[in-house]
Order: sequence, then C-alpha cells, then structure tokens
Amino acid sequence: MAFPVAAISTLAWRNLWRNHRRTLIMLLAITVGVWAMIFMASLMRGMTDQMVRNGLQTLPGEVQIHQRDYLRDPSVVNSMDAPGGALLARLQEAPVAAWAGRVRVPAVIASERGNRGVTLLGIDPVAEAALGSLPDELVAGRALDGPGDRGLVIGANLARRLETAVGKRVVIMSQDTQNNVAERGARVVGIYRARLQGSEDRYVYAGRAAVQDLLGIGERISEIAVTGHDYRNVAPWVPRIAAAAGTGLEVLPWTELDTFLGSMLVVQDGFALVFMVVVFLALSFGLVNTLVMAVFERVREIGLMQALGMRPGMILGQIMLESLYLLLLGLALGNLLALVTVKPLESGIDISSVAQGMEMVGMGTTLYPVLHTADMLMSTTVVIVLGLLASLAPAWRASRLDPVAALNKT
Amino acid sequence: MTDISCRNLCKTFHQGDATIRALDDVSLDIEEGSFVCLSGPSGSGKTTLLNALGGLDTPDSGEITVGGQRLDLLSKSELAQLRLNRIGFVFQAYNLVPVLSARENVEFIMQVQGVRARERRSLAAAVLAEVGLEDMEERRPAQLSGGQQQRVAVARAIASKPALVLADEPTANLDSRSAAQLMDLFVTLNTERGVTFVISTHDPRVMGYAGRLISMRDGRIVADERQQPHAMAV
Amino acid sequence: MGVSWLLAWRNLWRHRRRTWLTVGAMVFCNILLIFLVSLQLGSYQMMIDGSLAAFTGHIQIQQRDYLDEQHMYQSVPGAVELAARVRTALGVESVAARAEAFALASSAERSFGVLLTGVQPAYEPLVSTFPGKLREGRYLRDGNAQEIVIGAVLAQNLKVGPGDELTFLGSGRDGSFAAGVATVVGILDTGLPDVDRSMAQLPLGWFRQVFAMGDEGHSVVIRVPALDEVGGALSELRAMLLARKELAVLDWDTLMPGLRQAITSDMAGAWFQYGVLVILVAFSVLNTQLMSVLERTREFGVMMALGMSPLRLAQLVGMETLLLAVLGLALGLLGGSLLTWYLSYAGFTYPGVEEMMQRFMLGGRLYPQISATSLLSGPLAVFAGALLAALYPALRLFRLEPVAAMRTA
Repeated sequence: MAFPVAAISTLAWRNLWRNHRRTLIMLLAITVGVWAMIFMASLMRGMTDQMVRNGLQTLPGEVQIHQRDYLRDPSVVNSMDAPGGALLARLQEAPVAAWAGRVRVPAVIASERGNRGVTLLGIDPVAEAALGSLPDELVAGRALDGPGDRGLVIGANLARRLETAVGKRVVIMSQDTQNNVAERGARVVGIYRARLQGSEDRYVYAGRAAVQDLLGIGERISEIAVTGHDYRNVAPWVPRIAAAAGTGLEVLPWTELDTFLGSMLVVQDGFALVFMVVVFLALSFGLVNTLVMAVFERVREIGLMQALGMRPGMILGQIMLESLYLLLLGLALGNLLALVTVKPLESGIDISSVAQGMEMVGMGTTLYPVLHTADMLMSTTVVIVLGLLASLAPAWRASRLDPVAALNKT
Repeated sequence: MTDISCRNLCKTFHQGDATIRALDDVSLDIEEGSFVCLSGPSGSGKTTLLNALGGLDTPDSGEITVGGQRLDLLSKSELAQLRLNRIGFVFQAYNLVPVLSARENVEFIMQVQGVRARERRSLAAAVLAEVGLEDMEERRPAQLSGGQQQRVAVARAIASKPALVLADEPTANLDSRSAAQLMDLFVTLNTERGVTFVISTHDPRVMGYAGRLISMRDGRIVADERQQPHAMAV
Repeated sequence: MGVSWLLAWRNLWRHRRRTWLTVGAMVFCNILLIFLVSLQLGSYQMMIDGSLAAFTGHIQIQQRDYLDEQHMYQSVPGAVELAARVRTALGVESVAARAEAFALASSAERSFGVLLTGVQPAYEPLVSTFPGKLREGRYLRDGNAQEIVIGAVLAQNLKVGPGDELTFLGSGRDGSFAAGVATVVGILDTGLPDVDRSMAQLPLGWFRQVFAMGDEGHSVVIRVPALDEVGGALSELRAMLLARKELAVLDWDTLMPGLRQAITSDMAGAWFQYGVLVILVAFSVLNTQLMSVLERTREFGVMMALGMSPLRLAQLVGMETLLLAVLGLALGLLGGSLLTWYLSYAGFTYPGVEEMMQRFMLGGRLYPQISATSLLSGPLAVFAGALLAALYPALRLFRLEPVAAMRTA
C-alpha cells in the first residue's frame, strides 16, 4: 500500500493553522531568519566580489603570464617576447575575452619638489581598456593615446605628493638591462583617481613603446594579463594557456598570484554558511518548541489515528510534513523579503565614511550587495535539511506514543 | 469458524503502591457475526479487554487470535494494518479528527487504505446518508452534536468495511434518543452486513440489544449468557 | 510576594520541555554572543596593538602638514633632542626620532625605488617590532655608520645579502642631489609583502648627512605602555609643545585612520548579526509565553472571577518571564564564560584566517578577550528582548472577559 500523501498533507496543512497565532509567530521568526541569512550573504558577497574585482583590476587580469623568474625577480632582465604562434592563437580564442602585454618595472619618479618609488607600467591603452585595468576616472588632462605616447598618466595622490600637475615635467628613472640607471624627462599628460588610494600612489602609466625605448628592450614585455570576465571560473582554461605558453613562461591564475584574494573568497563562502547555520540553530529551538506543543495538544488525536489503523510512519510523516509546510512558507516569505530589500540596494550603499578602513581589506567607497541564486539556494538547503532534522525528534516521539495512554489523555 | 479467541489473558497496572489486575486469566471465544456486550462497573477490565482485542494494548500474558492471526506475533505496523482493514473503533467521545469535515473524516481512512477518489466520494456520501447525516457532510466535528459525531464515527467504520467493530461506551455521552439511533445502526450493520460487534457498556438499555452478554468484575468474566436481543424503548 | 514567585516558578515547569527549549534558545544565543563579542573585541585589540606596535606607534610628533603631503622639507627641527625631552617628560624610554626619504637603491645587478627610514638604532627597537624581525645579519648599531638593513623581498629583488653594498640616489631636503653607499648588515622579514618589498632602514645620523637634513627629522615616534594611556600622554605633549605651532601631536587614529574605520565597519556587520540572533530568541520567548497564556485562559478566567485583577495576572506572567529570562541569563553566562575563558587561553583558528590577519600584522591564532562588556552586553540584550517579548501576551490579559474565559475548553 502506498504512503497516503494526499490524506496526510491535508491533515498536516489544517493542523498547522489550528493554532494560528503560534504558527504566525514561528512563521515570522523563520521569515526574519531567512531574510537575515540572505541579506547578510548578499552584503558579504558584494564585499568579496568587489574586493576580488578591485584586486583583479590592479593585478590585473584573472591569469598572468610571465617569464619564469619574473615574479621572484621583477626586473627588466626577466622579460619575454611579445606572444606569438600557439600562445597568440590561444589568447585570441574563447574563453579569453581580452588580453594585454605590458612592461612592468620598478621605477623612481622625481619632480623638483620630491621623489617616490613607483611601478612604471608601459601599456597599450586599447588593450588595457578591453582588459578593464585602466583607472576608473581621469580627473585632469587626457588619457594615453597609444603605445607610442611619450607622456605619463599618474595618480592624483602621487601628483599631490610630488607637487606636480598636468603639463609639468618629471623625471622617471629605472634600471635598464645592463643595470644602468635609465632616466628620461617626461611630461605629465593626465591625472587619474583610483578606487584604492594605494594604487594612485603606486602606478604610473606610460606608452609601452616609450618605456621599451627607455629601457632598451626592443619589443619585449614583462607580463601578459588575460581575462575571461568570470573570475570564479578560471581553472578550466589555465592549463590550455600554460600548454601553449611552453616551459620558458609561467602561467598563474589570480588565486595564486594574490593568495590573500584567493583565501578571502574561501573564508567568505565558509562564513556565509556558518552564519546561516547559526541563525538556523537560533530558530530551531522555536521550531522544535512549536512542534512539541503541537504534538502535546494532539496526543489524544494521535491515539485515535493509531486506533484507526495509521501506522507509526504515517504519524511521523504527518508531523514532518507540518514542519515542512511551515519551513517552506517561511522560506518563501524570507526570500521574497530579501528580494525586495536587496534589489534596490544593488545600485550601491555609500560607505565612504569608513573608506580607509575598507581599503585596508581592499574595498572601495561603495558597497554593492549582490543577490546570488546560490545564496538563496544555500539558505533554503540549510533551513530544509536542518529544519527536518530538528523536527525528527518531536515527530518520532509522536509516532511512538502508546495508543492506550494517548487515548486516555484528557 | 471462530473470529476472536483469547486464552488466559492477564494484565496488571500499577497505580502508586496498588496493583490493579485489569485482566485476570480471561479466556473467551467470539464467533463471527455475533453482537456481544461487555458489562461491568468501571475498572472491571472492559476497556482493557477491548483495547487488547484491537491490538492497541498488549496483555502481559496469554494470546489473542483475530481472524486467524495471532496478535502477539504482529509488529506495530502490522497491527495498524490489521486495524485499518479489519477492525473499526468507536469511542465514547472525541472520535473524529477535529480539522476534518464529516465527509473527510469518513474518507480519510479510505484514503489511507488506498481507495480511489471517485469511489471514496460516492461511498462516503452513501454511508453518511445511511447514518442520516446527508446534510452535514461539510461540517467540522465542532459543529456537530455528540450523537451526530458518534454517527459520523459509525459511518467511518462502515465505509472501511471492517469485519469487527469494537465500541467502548459509545452511548455514554448521548441522550436516549441519540443512543437508540446509534444502537439501531449497530444492529442493522450486524444483521445486514454480518459485522461482529463487541461493545463495552454499563448502560442496561444497550445490553438489551446484545445476543450475548458478558459480565466482568475485577478483571474476570463472572457471567457469560446468551439472550434474545430486544431494542430499547425510547 | 513569596507565594507569587512560587506560583510563577511552578507555572514555569508545567511544560518542562517547552521551558527548557526556550531557556535553551537563550542559553545558546548567550553563549554565542559572549564568544563572538569577546572574539571581536579581542581581535580589535590585537589589530590595534599589532598594527601600531609594528611601526606607527601610538603617538607621533610631526611637522603639521607632513602627514598629508610628505614633503622632505616639512621636517621637525632638533628631532633627536625633542625625542629626549619627550622621554623625560613622559617617563617612558620608547620614544624615537625618524627621518624618511624615497630613493632609488641599486645593487651590482638591480635597482629599485625604496622608502629609506633614518632611525635611532638604540631607540627604534623600543617603538617598532620590525627590528626584531631579523632574518639574517644584525640590526643597526651605530648612529653614524654607513650601514643599512632592508626588507627580505627587497634583498631578494636586489640580489644582495649581508656584506653587500647598496648605492642609493635621491634628493636632499633642499632639493639637492643626494647619494650614498651603504653596507647591508641585516635582512628584515616582517611577513608583510608590501613592507618587505620597500623597507630600508639606516642610522639617522648618517641619513641626515646624506640627505642634507642638518639636525632635522620627520617624526618623533612614541609608544606608551598601554592603549588607554594615549589620551594622557597626548594632552601632556600638546601642552609641552603649545608654543611650537609648526608641530602637530598626532594620535594613532589620525596616523592610521583605516584602522578605526576597519573596526567600525566590521562592527556594523557584527551588530546586524547579533541583532538577528536576539530577535529570533525574542520570538521564541513570545511564542512560549503567548502559548502559556492562551492555554490558561480558563484558569485565568477563574482567577479573575475570584477577584484577581488583570494587573495581578499580567504581573504573574511578567514574573514567569523574568524567571525564564534569569535562568537563560545565568546558564548562558556560565556556559559562555567557561567556553570563552578556555578559548582565550587555548586560542583557535579558522581556515583562511591567517592570510586575513596578516594584513593587521597578527599571528594565525585567534584569542577571544573576556571583559565585563563582552560577557554582559549580549546576554543583557537577550534578557531585555525576552522581557519585551512577554509584553504582548501579558497585555492580552487586560482584554480577558472572565465569563467568556471560563467557558473556554
């Protein structure tokens, strides 16, 4: 004989509303709990997402290719040829969305009022734009107009420290391949503002050919930055690039280039789950309480059902189903509430009052919460799985009641 | 063929320091299709015997056979199965599931038995009409009088086509008119469908309906007489 | 009154399971809150201590615009003498003068831009933990020697080790060309990639010679024994330097604004989480107390018929809730403080925490810190939430009609 689902589900549903006040309070509690789970997760997701994006913008790219020794010794000596052959072919096909070859060397920039250690980036502006690695905002002057541009674009903060401005000359010094100090006067043509103030101090942009010329390295470059515009899904294509790059080059995904960013993602994902479980545990006491009381009030009825021939399994199923209805309703309402509260916030929450603190962990001045289906699914799974587990005890007790004692209860 | 047989049933309860012998070496045979009344004062063991016959309660010793099946050899689920398909219970009160309407209460057991929806519906309507509740199908138990509730319980028992109905003081909370109606229903079912009835009562009017009257006292059978049944005067 | 409390206590145990579940919810939340708040405050303390002890110190005296603009000419005259005066004034030894300059450092094979810091070898180890992070060689000794210690990554990039020579080029305080050759005597490994990549320290005396600083420095760094002594030291120093308008006395919050903000933003997130937990527990109590009032409608009807006022009945419900909440508070405090006390000694870790903590110059283990705040704030919030939650059930009693109530099954 089949399990009489229809009979039991009607019963479970109606029983749920017998004490509507209690059910409504519990429903409200589950709704608030589920909402908090998803809301918190979307805030954290937004934070992590932005940290990673900012990190990838400064890195830049999700995958980088260097000469084997470059990362240990980021000198102009360890440069490589511009990509060609199999590697170039790989870089021009999906899933690679964009790539850029760049010269990246340590340098000192000096004005008549001061000097600073910086990282000099020789770039092709068009390729960098496709990569998404150019600074967000130009506050003065113009952008670089091509790899041959002989001007410099520097950060607003650096400009202030050097007391320089658009149109003024500065001296840029770096080491050439013979370890002589190569130095050249250059005009500041643009000043940018970055999301992270640290980047403004550190990166100086120049035309790639102009830098190659300064360092005397011909067409050689320091790194190739590659993006597929999906940082969570890099692993499948890294080996293919690596195979095409050959043994002389090192191909690394961002998780290895910046281990802090990589571990961030893991910690935040783990934390979201821990938070959900903790919220659920706080809820579970109320849930179990509700079911215990529901069984307590219906002991006589359960005895009657047993006398009528309901097997223990059906009684267990009935209580579990009652709990499931409650959980599903709470989940539906909680998800709905999360949807209507998070969606309007997705355009950004201003957190500039704590901007420098956020910068310490790699965040910008605006927090963009992200509502992920995965988080909604995760909270649903946590609530259903743990909810049913918690309901097992009272449901089991109900199914094991002694029918004679149950029937005699007044 | 013997429908029910009990051999040497014993059951004791402990209440504080006192030991109560609810069943004290009871042996009994009840033939299929009989209409039996168990009488005796409260505490004489009537209810314990009924519960034991329905497999709700297990005696400390002795054995019960219902329709050829030894109850002590069945698991909880098998006992439930037996009650579902062969035994109907009617209690003194609170016989119905409060959240279900009269019709749903009748249909519920059939649903658990796995009867198809269409068949269930027409059968439920028919049995409710048979017990005189055709206009009250959609009422919840709280909206029915005590007698009406007991009749719904009987309708439910009929619908599940049991071979045996165990009724524990079914008329205790009813006025004479309702009690007579209920007993008439029992008799009809007994004579027309051959359903075996075992009814516990201490109402002399109910005893009159029985073809066999068993008296109990202190857990023992003190008298077992066959008699000519007669309806109660209203 | 004694009888009322006894009645309330007995009523509480009419449904043992329900009462325990409700108390359980409170205890669970209390333990969790004690642990989380202790951990939070503990890690803030560690973040502040770790970050400040590394290099910044608690207080710095600088030329008033140096913090913002960091021009070499924005310097503090007589920095070494000032440091000595501060030492006497505050009665602490951990005061050191520094000067800073950017320069291009070149080894035989490589050149990199570095941040050179001129330090007082005798006092620098007292204000900063960096000198203690020596991996190779030794720290600076002589205030005028032509010696330098550099970060590990920088050493690797420059391909130098102890004994090798390093040339640096920059510009002096007056804008003149500045150059020097120093012998590497030690390699520092702080574990912070950004610091290890660019840090270089040399004796202040010689630094001033090379960069034409005269007797000037850029900062006087002060480390006080404990964080709560910062306020006192600050006002003392400000009074002492009242006449020298060109100088500013800056506290750690001004020097590292990110630190407090990181804490503030973290707290905002944490309060949200705690709030959710407290609300959920309050729902639990609301549910229990409402049930307990509803199921006693008949009983309350009888009591009202006997002459009890609704106020007395509400008081009874209030007392029951109070007992329930006190029980949750007591058990939660006990459990929470035991757990947290244990962890505050044993410490614990969580995958990935190490990388995150490095940003604040901390080790990989977390140690919660027990204080009155961390012990009481969570449980008291739960306590208050529980009492608030009982308001609705108690207020319902005022709407009770005795006759109708007695008729309820």
